[in-house]
Amino acid sequence: MASFRLRNVSVEFPIYQATYRSLKKLVLAFSLQGDRAREDSDRIHVQALTDLTLDMEEGDRVGLIGPNGAGKTTLLKVLAGIYAPTGGQVHSSGKISSLLDVKVGLNPEATGRENIILRGMYMDVHPREMRAHVDEIVAFAGLGPHLDMPVRTYSAGMAIRLAIAVSTCIRPEVLIMDEWLSAVDERFLERAHRRLGDFIGGSNIVVLATHSMTLLREWCNRAILLDQGRVVVNGSVDEAIDAYHALSTAQ
Amino acid sequence: MLDQQAPRSADLELPPSPSPTAAAWADLVEGTARSWMWSSMAMQDIKLRYRGSVLGPFWLTISMVVMIVAIGLIYARLFNQETGRYLLFLTIGLVIWQFVSSLITDGCQTFLSAQHVISQVCLPFSVHVWRIVCRNLIVLAHNAVIVPFVLVIFGVSIGWNVLTIIPALAILTINGVWVSILVGMLSARYRDVPPIVMNFVQVAFFITPVFWPPEALGHWTPYLVLNPLFAAIDVVRAPLLGAAPLPYSWSVLLVVTVLGCAGTFALFVKFRSRIAYWV
Repeated sequence: MASFRLRNVSVEFPIYQATYRSLKKLVLAFSLQGDRAREDSDRIHVQALTDLTLDMEEGDRVGLIGPNGAGKTTLLKVLAGIYAPTGGQVHSSGKISSLLDVKVGLNPEATGRENIILRGMYMDVHPREMRAHVDEIVAFAGLGPHLDMPVRTYSAGMAIRLAIAVSTCIRPEVLIMDEWLSAVDERFLERAHRRLGDFIGGSNIVVLATHSMTLLREWCNRAILLDQGRVVVNGSVDEAIDAYHALSTAQ
Repeated sequence: MLDQQAPRSADLELPPSPSPTAAAWADLVEGTARSWMWSSMAMQDIKLRYRGSVLGPFWLTISMVVMIVAIGLIYARLFNQETGRYLLFLTIGLVIWQFVSSLITDGCQTFLSAQHVISQVCLPFSVHVWRIVCRNLIVLAHNAVIVPFVLVIFGVSIGWNVLTIIPALAILTINGVWVSILVGMLSARYRDVPPIVMNFVQVAFFITPVFWPPEALGHWTPYLVLNPLFAAIDVVRAPLLGAAPLPYSWSVLLVVTVLGCAGTFALFVKFRSRIAYWV
């Protein structure tokens, strides 16, 4: 059974100022013992998530909304296991796939075929398994004869189609997804949309960060509204959307 | 299913999270097990570096040969050595030095060069480590093809002890793993570390008997025990020259391996979860 349990999760980013992250500073800090306070003020901490307690169960399609800088991506990264929380506890079960940046692992110098295998590796999928998907990916992305050409020769649209086709060829058990549908050009949007719909439908748990209320209504059965790193609403989609609009008018 | 009410089971106790030590160990085990992943990544790195070139990675071999011939002819005279024997000594020394030193300098980039991946995908950190180590093993294999030629040309009689280079190379590889983790973490946290390491390796090349014979130090020769890089070269080079390594070379290497692994593992346990925040 796939699930997520978050208890009082906080994430704090250390921002090392350009000058701080050097040994010189460290050495100087040791030699100037009286300067502790100032040295500490040199290091800024940004509180990205504060005291989140959440549960997600099988069948949940969770939409994550909130203004820019609310902590959506950070929460996705905590769920994906990329960031260990600096406070609180995360417990997850099920095999998690994260689709935050569709282009991760794609190398412009490598050919389309090589990239399919490479991208698969970053999804923890063995090349043997990826090879079985090559034909289907080529058909979806419309690569045709370009398959064995370096990706840098592709048009932007073709590259993003390749990225989407590869990222969505395996059905993950738990899907953590940042919305990047906005990067897709108009003509391709509908096909991409359909493919993503299928992709999401095949996963046990989906967490999707989005700015699109249409997608939220269509794909999600519950929603979390984040603001300034805190949960404002954790409930139904309508509830969250209402609160989101109230929040944006208030600002 | 859809849950309209307050989160269920929010007051439920979670099973305890695995200890940092267990998590770090699991990272190493799971990363190492994904050999298909890091070996293909390493192969791809090499392939991309030489894409479009006719000789491909054999350029590495050629530049090594050029260096050996150039240094060999001059320094054999400088050090009053018999040319054949010196070329052999130099070839093996340079090939191993190239492996060891580039493991150290490449190690700085272990996590920095995987920055984008680390911040987007959750993979065991040791995958990135093995990728660097494997890449350097591939380079070593390209350079090592020179060695049999030189051995045949200058006809050295090697004994059965030549087989000891197999465990020796295995130990060097293990050292490559901890070095990559250690300097990789330090470089991710302190961006001054890569140039410092680069500088250190450059100096080390001249103070380690790679291209000069250890005996040339005269009564200072015993102090070479302080240089583990010499031990690393000696355990591979001596058997191929038909000799035995200096008595302390293996002990030095083993002590460094044990201390390095233990110390680095302790740091890895403590700071593994911070790496994603550093890069």
